[in-house]
Amino acid sequence: MFTVSAMVGLSLGEKQFIKGGIAQDLRTDGRKRSTYRPIFVETGVIPQANGSARVMIGATEVIASVKAELGRPNPSHPDKGKLSIFVDCSPTAEPSFEGRGGDDLASELSLALERCLLGGKSGAGAGIDLASLSIVEGKVCWDLYIDGLVISSDGNLLDALGAAIKAALSNTGIPKVQVASGASPDELPEVDISDEEFLQFDTSRFPVIVTLTKVGSHYIVDATSEEESQMSSALSVSVNREGQICGVTKRGGAGLDPSVILDMIYFAKTISEQLINKLDSQIAAAEACEEDDS
Amino acid sequence: MEYVNPEGLRLDGRRPMEMRQLRAEIGVVSRADGSAVFEMGNTKVIAAVYGPREVQNKSQQMSDQALVRCEYSMANFSTGERKRKPKGDRRSTEISLVIRQTMEACILTDQMPRTQIDIFVQVLQADGGTRSACINAATLALADAGIPMRDLVTSCSAGYLNSTPLLDLNYVEDGAGGPDVTVGILPKLDKVTLLQMDAKLPMDTLESVMQLAAEGCKAVANYIREILLEHTKQLEVRRGT
Repeated sequence: MFTVSAMVGLSLGEKQFIKGGIAQDLRTDGRKRSTYRPIFVETGVIPQANGSARVMIGATEVIASVKAELGRPNPSHPDKGKLSIFVDCSPTAEPSFEGRGGDDLASELSLALERCLLGGKSGAGAGIDLASLSIVEGKVCWDLYIDGLVISSDGNLLDALGAAIKAALSNTGIPKVQVASGASPDELPEVDISDEEFLQFDTSRFPVIVTLTKVGSHYIVDATSEEESQMSSALSVSVNREGQICGVTKRGGAGLDPSVILDMIYFAKTISEQLINKLDSQIAAAEACEEDDS
Repeated sequence: MEYVNPEGLRLDGRRPMEMRQLRAEIGVVSRADGSAVFEMGNTKVIAAVYGPREVQNKSQQMSDQALVRCEYSMANFSTGERKRKPKGDRRSTEISLVIRQTMEACILTDQMPRTQIDIFVQVLQADGGTRSACINAATLALADAGIPMRDLVTSCSAGYLNSTPLLDLNYVEDGAGGPDVTVGILPKLDKVTLLQMDAKLPMDTLESVMQLAAEGCKAVANYIREILLEHTKQLEVRRGT
C-alpha cells in the first residue's frame, strides 16, 4: 500500500464526512471527484544534475533529478541505453520514514514507476527513445539514473513523482559525444564528451500517471492522505499523449469487478488529457522562468 | 594548489572573509509542525520539525524533560558523483548526533516533559558546510514550530589555507587538506555550543580562525533573525489584524 495511514488519526465522524462528501461529489476541500489540486512545477532545482524538477500537488512535494553516466549496454539490447528509477522517502515528509521506515514505500514506488514509465524489460514502450542513449552499439551507452525524493507527502505520491520525472527529463541535457575513430573492435572506444553541446529529449510521448482511488462505491483522482486512508483499492494508469495505455498497477486489498476496472481505465484516459495539457504548460512556463533567471 | 590568488580572491571569487550567499525560506513542508530551507551558496538543506508530541517509544520517555531526536540524510543526487549510500552510515550518524546535541542545548527541554521533538534534516545539495547549513535550517524550523529556545543557535565553518583564514569553506576548499573548523554559537548569550576541528593548526592561528567562524555565526544569526521577523510580519498580515 502506498498510503501512510498510520499517521492519519481520524475520528468516526471525520471518516463518515470524507466518504459522504465523495458520494455527493463534493470533497472535504471543495473539489469534485475528478478535480486535481493545483499543480506547480519548477525545473532546474538541482544544478549539479543533468536535469531536475520539483513538483507540488497541493501539500505533496517531490523532487526528481536525472544524472547521466557512461556505461555498457545490456548484452541483450546492445543498441539501447539504460534507464533506472530510484525513489527515496525523506523523513521530512513523515516521521515514520525515519531510519529504514520509508524503504518499503520507496521500493514500492520505484517499481510502480518503472512499470508505468519504462515499458517493460525490453524498454520497447519506454516514454523516451532508449536507442537515442546508445553511443557505440554494444560498447558504450548512457545510463540515466532518475532519482525521486519525497519531501512532503499528502497523498497521490505516484502521480506527483511521474509528473516530476517527466518535467526533469524535459529539462535534461545530455552532452554530445564524439567517438574517436580507428579503435580496434575489441577495445573500448575512446569518447570525447562535449561540455558545450547538449541533446534534449523529446518527452512529448512521455506518459503521465493517473491514480484513481476507490472510496466507497466511487473513485476519485488526486486523493489526499486522509482520503487515501479510507480507500478500498486504487488503480494507477499511465497514459501518453496519443491516449495509449502504457502501464497499469492495481493496489489495495479489495477486489474490483473487471468491468469497473475497464471503466476506470477509460475514465483515467479522459482525465489524462487534461493532466498532460496542464503539465506541459506548467513545464513550459517553468523552463521559460528558468531561462529568465539565467 | 593556490586557493587564494595574489589579488586576495578565492576560487569562487570571494574574499577570504566573505560568506557565500545565504537564502532561507520558512514553512516549506506544509504537513510538518515547523520547516525551513536553508542555502549557503550551493549547499541546500531542508529541515522539518515534528513535535512536541507524544513519545513514540514509551521506554525513552523522560518525566523531567523532552526527548530530542534528529536524523540527517543525504539525497542520492546531492553530491557531484551520484552515489547510493546506505542509510545510517557512520558519517550521517555522527552528524545526526552533533545536530541533536547542539539543538538540545538551546531547546528549553524542561518546559515540555514527557514529549518528543523530532528534527529531520535532508541535504538536497552538498557543497561544503552541510553541518553548519543543517544546524541553521534546524534552528529556523524549530522557531517555525514555536518550540521554546534559549537562543537561536547558528553555525558557520572556517578554514586556513595558503596562510589565510577563510570563512565558510566550499567543497573544493574543504577537500584541500587544510583544517576545517565548525563553530556553533548562541549569539545572544555569546557561548560556543559546537566546536569541531580536524587537521593541525598552531594555537594562535586557531584563535583567529575560531574568531572568524564565530563572526560568521553572528552574521548568520542576524540573517536568520531578519527572516523570522519578516515571516512573522507576513503571518500578521494574513491574520488581518
